[in-house]
Amino acid sequence: MPTPAMLTARPRRRRVSGLKKAETRQALGFISPALAGLALFTVIPVVVSIVMSLHNWPAFGERSFAGFDNYRNLFTQHPDFWPALRNSAVFTLLYVPINLVVALALALSLSPRIRGRGAFRVLFFIPVVTPIVANALVWKMLLQPQGLFNGVSVSLFDIQLPNFLAHPQWAMIMVVVMSVWQGMGYNMLIFSAALEQLPTSVVEAARIDGARGWRMIRSVVLPMLSPAIFFATVMTIITSLQVFAQPQLLTGGGPGNATMPLVQFIYNQGFKFQDLGLAASAAWVLFVLIIMVTAVQFKAQKRWVHYEH
Amino acid sequence: MRITTTTATATALAAVMLAACGSDDGDGGDDSSSGTSSIVWDMWAGSEEDTAFLNDTLEIVRAENPDIDVQLQTAPWNDYFTKLTTNLSAGNVACVTSMNGQRLSSYAEAFMPLTPEDLETAGLSEDDFVDGALDIMTHDGQLYGLPFDVATMLVYYNKDMFADSGAPEPQIGWSFEDFESAAQSVSTDDHKGFGIGMAEFQWMSLPIAMSGKQPVDEEGNLALTDPDFVDAATWYAGLVTEQEVAAPPPSASETGWGETEYAAGNVAMAVDGTWNAVTYLNNDTGFAAGMTNLPAGDAGSTALVLGSGYGIAADCADKEAALQVLGSLLGKDAQDAMASSGRSYPARAESQPLYFESLDDAVRDEVQAAFEAAFADVEGQRSTDDWDQVNTAIQPQLVSVYTGQAGMGDMLEQVQQQFGN
Repeated sequence: MPTPAMLTARPRRRRVSGLKKAETRQALGFISPALAGLALFTVIPVVVSIVMSLHNWPAFGERSFAGFDNYRNLFTQHPDFWPALRNSAVFTLLYVPINLVVALALALSLSPRIRGRGAFRVLFFIPVVTPIVANALVWKMLLQPQGLFNGVSVSLFDIQLPNFLAHPQWAMIMVVVMSVWQGMGYNMLIFSAALEQLPTSVVEAARIDGARGWRMIRSVVLPMLSPAIFFATVMTIITSLQVFAQPQLLTGGGPGNATMPLVQFIYNQGFKFQDLGLAASAAWVLFVLIIMVTAVQFKAQKRWVHYEH
Repeated sequence: MRITTTTATATALAAVMLAACGSDDGDGGDDSSSGTSSIVWDMWAGSEEDTAFLNDTLEIVRAENPDIDVQLQTAPWNDYFTKLTTNLSAGNVACVTSMNGQRLSSYAEAFMPLTPEDLETAGLSEDDFVDGALDIMTHDGQLYGLPFDVATMLVYYNKDMFADSGAPEPQIGWSFEDFESAAQSVSTDDHKGFGIGMAEFQWMSLPIAMSGKQPVDEEGNLALTDPDFVDAATWYAGLVTEQEVAAPPPSASETGWGETEYAAGNVAMAVDGTWNAVTYLNNDTGFAAGMTNLPAGDAGSTALVLGSGYGIAADCADKEAALQVLGSLLGKDAQDAMASSGRSYPARAESQPLYFESLDDAVRDEVQAAFEAAFADVEGQRSTDDWDQVNTAIQPQLVSVYTGQAGMGDMLEQVQQQFGN
């Protein structure tokens, strides 16, 4: 004889599955706008860009299938592609370490003992939120031969500074300097937030053991900050490989192609030289590069990132 | 029931979003539901004054075509062609699209070739325009549009700086020796004598005038390495590197370096188009501006006729309405308005005198004399299909040339190799 519990069990199970179905339908309904958006703005463009990279695809006019010719052209013939790749690499190698060190130093120096540190944080964060066009204009005015730096240098020391933005090496250095100034505030905020989350018990224990100053930072603070440093490194490398606005506005990619990074190369090919196929293939090279660099970072993080406190 | 309603609402919402994303702005020229035609006129405009002037022109066009709904869309000059390229790749070109003559070769296939019957529909005739003006919008012997202005390059100078230095002002019919001595005598510790050019004809005009050669030969091939042109271009770069009468641009992003420096009162002379004559005469810096034609080289005075015009998009749905709008944009009223506002030197012959009448009495005769001298001997500008790209490639390299890091000849050779075949 079935117990009351057994009697009620079956219909309940059916109700659950009915509810599940309904919930699934409901969930589908809710995510359909997001799915449509994902398809429209991500999946379709990605697929189209693959197709484009395999075609001679002028901005307008006849299109024809080209196989891997665009990629071959990039790596073996195009005079600007390797310099652009080199410039992106140089920018990343200079920008990422300087940015991280400066941001970390700022975050550490704005310790809770500093009065008005909120105001300082806002100050350092301002360049991140001001429009890059305005930033670039100000830097141009500082750096050009008739600008502030050269003016001060000549009037005080009678030393003529180089024409920063028209000199191949100086131009790249100045693009990096401006980018660090513009971007350090963001990482500083991440590090500041992470510093405030440090477990006081660990810090106090280290202090009781006699850890002070540099020793404290190197052996206690940095290891505990490592997840934040890892996050900041990954994101900063990605954004620096995608750098465009700073060189476009500050140096126009010049002199010659000395400061033209990969994204500017892609922009020029697509919208100035109207070769969307070549631009799409260069974009895929950039994408693969970013994925590879990020994958290596994730592999390497196991050695130096400590998640458990 | 409630679930069904929620699902339906969400789906409907998604559908609305998709429909909104996919809706067309109607740029083409579709017939709207009311039965009137809708034509979009695409034009460059950099400032509020530009836009205000274009809106005045729009009123003239609307008044002349009450049954056509004409809309104006603008983009700044530097972005205009990028935007046009994007619109072209999306098949979304405005029915009446403005085009710069120098760039027509790159964009010719976007435009509908115009026949004499088309001109008739527009209420225009070839005789309405000054001689040579139709060449501006002609590519491979085919007319792709009609010009609204004609232009050529002039040497603008700062009269105050010449007066201060005691050097004689440039005269119509001057030679390159005169130009060099003027640039040298007016250069001081405070300012240079000449603003070196970065943009297309702002830098190329003097080498062309000196050598008598265009960088595209008569067969339409790129000829950047023509020895005469290279020599003249090398001389031009030497104004910065050897004679030091001009300062190098501080960055490759300074695409309007020489002209900007001139307008700011930082240099005594610069080469720029006739389209900026009135801007310089009324400059904000407050100096007295003068102008004269390009100096003459051994081959005589060689100047190019430049300009811009309007064409009809190749896929324009309502060609007839577009032609009527074109006819009004280039009609007497609109061209008179352009001339008397001093914005540009009109391509319509009968409107040209109004341009000078709009000028101040003190400068009118001088400007008219400079224009007449400059336009006296102009020849059509030759270009290749990728002329726009050639210039885009040259521009960032010019900085290296002007700062002495690269030779003008080497740079031209490199660009010739890249685009010459």
